[in-house]
Amino acid sequence: MSAHVVLKQITERFTSVIQRTDVPEDGRLFVYVEPQALRELCRYVFRVLDARYVISIGLDDRPISGKFLVAHDFAFDKEHVLCSILSYLSGNPPRVDSISDVVPAANWAEREFRDLVGIEPVGHPYPKRLVLPDGWPDGVHPLRRDYPWDAVPAGYDESRTFDFDDPPEGCVVVPFGPFHPTLDEPAHFRLFVDGETVRGCEYRGFMVHRAIEKLGDSVLTYNEIPMAAERICGICGCVHNVAYAQAVEQAAAVTPPPRARYIRTIMLEIERLHSHLLWVGLGCHILGFDTLFMQCFRIREPIMWIAEKISGNRKTYALCLVGGVRWNITPALRSELMGVLAKLEQEWRPVVDAVAGDRNIQKRTRGVGVADAALVKSAGLIGPVARAAGVDIDARRDHPYAAYGDVEFKVITQEGGDVWSRLLVRALEVFESIRIVRQCLDHLPEGPLQATIQDELPPGRVGLSSVEAPRGESHHFVITGENNRPRRWRVRAPTYQNLQGVPAMIKDQQIADMTISLGSIDPCFSCTDRMEIIDVRSGAHRVYTQSELLQLTRGQTRTP
Amino acid sequence: METSLAVRVLSGGMNIALVLALAPLCEGILRKVTAKVQSRQGPPVWQPYYDLLKLLGKEDMESGESPAMQRFASWLSLAAILTVAVLVPMGTIPPMSGAADAYLLIYLLTLCGISTMLAGLAAGSTYSLVGMSREMMSLMTLEPLLAVAVIIGVVHVRSLRLEAVLDGSPYAQAGVPLAGILMFGVAILAFQALVGRLPFDIAEAETELMEGSLIEYSGPKLALFKFTQMAKLVVYGALVVSLFFPWGSGLPAPLNLVSLLVKLVLLVLVVTLVAATHARYRIDQAIRYYGGLLGASLVALLLALYGY
Repeated sequence: MSAHVVLKQITERFTSVIQRTDVPEDGRLFVYVEPQALRELCRYVFRVLDARYVISIGLDDRPISGKFLVAHDFAFDKEHVLCSILSYLSGNPPRVDSISDVVPAANWAEREFRDLVGIEPVGHPYPKRLVLPDGWPDGVHPLRRDYPWDAVPAGYDESRTFDFDDPPEGCVVVPFGPFHPTLDEPAHFRLFVDGETVRGCEYRGFMVHRAIEKLGDSVLTYNEIPMAAERICGICGCVHNVAYAQAVEQAAAVTPPPRARYIRTIMLEIERLHSHLLWVGLGCHILGFDTLFMQCFRIREPIMWIAEKISGNRKTYALCLVGGVRWNITPALRSELMGVLAKLEQEWRPVVDAVAGDRNIQKRTRGVGVADAALVKSAGLIGPVARAAGVDIDARRDHPYAAYGDVEFKVITQEGGDVWSRLLVRALEVFESIRIVRQCLDHLPEGPLQATIQDELPPGRVGLSSVEAPRGESHHFVITGENNRPRRWRVRAPTYQNLQGVPAMIKDQQIADMTISLGSIDPCFSCTDRMEIIDVRSGAHRVYTQSELLQLTRGQTRTP
Repeated sequence: METSLAVRVLSGGMNIALVLALAPLCEGILRKVTAKVQSRQGPPVWQPYYDLLKLLGKEDMESGESPAMQRFASWLSLAAILTVAVLVPMGTIPPMSGAADAYLLIYLLTLCGISTMLAGLAAGSTYSLVGMSREMMSLMTLEPLLAVAVIIGVVHVRSLRLEAVLDGSPYAQAGVPLAGILMFGVAILAFQALVGRLPFDIAEAETELMEGSLIEYSGPKLALFKFTQMAKLVVYGALVVSLFFPWGSGLPAPLNLVSLLVKLVLLVLVVTLVAATHARYRIDQAIRYYGGLLGASLVALLLALYGY
């Protein structure tokens, strides 16, 4: 019903330019429009209908329709609708009006499809290279269909360096990263610093892009992708695994059995538990409060063990296939998990009380790294960052999936919008997660774990799936395709949006607050880059050049 | 009572040996207790000795803008703190304090901080420069505290001679020694910052500045700086003990040393617990804190000047 209400609001004003609409189920809406109206429609949806920007997707659809496709995804959280506005583009190179001036949150996503698919966002306010490495030749777009998945482009120039912006007058550049002890993953912020105050910054990331999406539409098959999807992130892998499976299920109208939906919910919440405990620990470590860091990790450990008992792994549960799950929760596991939750709840309470009463921590976090509701809206910030600013969004409640429609829980919000509020949101969400898992265990339905899928999945259908990861909404966009694999699979991890809010959050702050401000979005660069780090052991007294290292990593067929 | 030169030199040497031997042990105790507070096993108490040996045995890499100055800074830091050690009473025999007066002590204490600044400046990388500027800001507000403590002693005993000053002199006043008691409070509150431990390890701040001034140092040079940090805990500890808790220093030979060690270990435990239960302050918050202490210490100085 809700999707039809939203659709009516859109068609009232844009009848003449809408080519086709599709409402496959209550919470999904697809609108195909003329490319020249795309910008105005997005402005209307974002500004007037107050939808939340999710992601933009570019697709080389030439083998099918002879055209390129661009899609802008929006979420109507109060109406419980995920909406995709799609437009076919002709011409090569294809051009489309940029929406970044009316929807600032689309800045990165448009630059990404410019880099990878070669769709030119006309009028983009900052059309700089985002994803491709420095030496990558111009005019080569790896996500195009005619570009082989394993090709190294001719003319790759290793000596080419990135053209960084000049710092504003009176500022010195403090490089933060690519490697920094608090980042743990490569990302490069060039801070423009005046004394101890940060006046601005430039971000250069995507240093270890693994091209998982390319593999997804050229090498892997439907049921192999969950394995790759899970490896997008080392902390919230299960989220991507579930989100992908759900997107395909929605596109192909496959319904997983009830027991599978409940088990998905349980594993997602187990993941949130360990992730939040990890974050509170790391946040304290960044502030130099290592005692709480160690205690958080001690409390977290039983969660890791029970996850290993259920799935065989502390992390990377390999939970989903399209249409179901692979692991059962036996009665023995169920009672053990209940015990772990009881112990966790009992141990976590004093930690939360200690943190909430600690003036020392408040001194370092109150009023620091503020992202207010206006920034949340314009940059499309999500998850604990949004909820800490009083923006009441949570994909588990707004776009129910798995078994979240059947359980009761509170969406925790705070008003401060600062690091302190984010800390509280995460600390308190732990109790809600425990509640959710308990309810699922109490009402775990009997039945099969996997739906039977007789026929091939129909090609050309679009699926959207949002899963509330510990860091915020993780969004997957899938167009089903031929050869038992999707035509396009686009992953939008929460950090992708939240990172874009960081420059505004650290502006005019002390340099000392940079790490905790960045840390407070719980950044996950591997999600953003969609990659994994391979550790190469170097020989004694040997300095490798960049190309030698590349050779080594390419020869590496398994992680050491 | 005049002590012969030979005895003085011997006692100075003993102080140096004591600091060099004791400093890693104190660090080891600190690490072990921290680990216990954090529900960890923790490294063996002897680990800091192994660490220093390992670093000393490594290749002496030269990274940074001016290697000669960097080498000098690393030696200067340890030399400065050991020279202070020679002047501070540490059990057994009276130290070489007759060879110096209170002014020299204050200068030498400042020199310790300056050597760290020099290290950051000479390395010349962005992070080391930020670390250096933070070190300088703390130095300017912290060092006067110790100076004021010593000067209060000087005012009370009306002498610049160190033997007289470094023996509970802040209390050496008829009636209730108000200035001494106030300064004692200030010194205790500032001690954590003086020895550069959490929550005041701002100039190094691993998670922000990646060790700040010391970012470009490795191997033997880093060993010297690490040794200096450990020695600081012992030497500043001994200094505070001799200024504010001298009781027991007059006991016969092994007992006075034992009493010093007990007091030092107690101080180390306090430092450990404070470090394990606090998050790091930001430089502006820390400077405000130091400023408050400085104000209190100036009040103490005024009290001392007016004979309280």
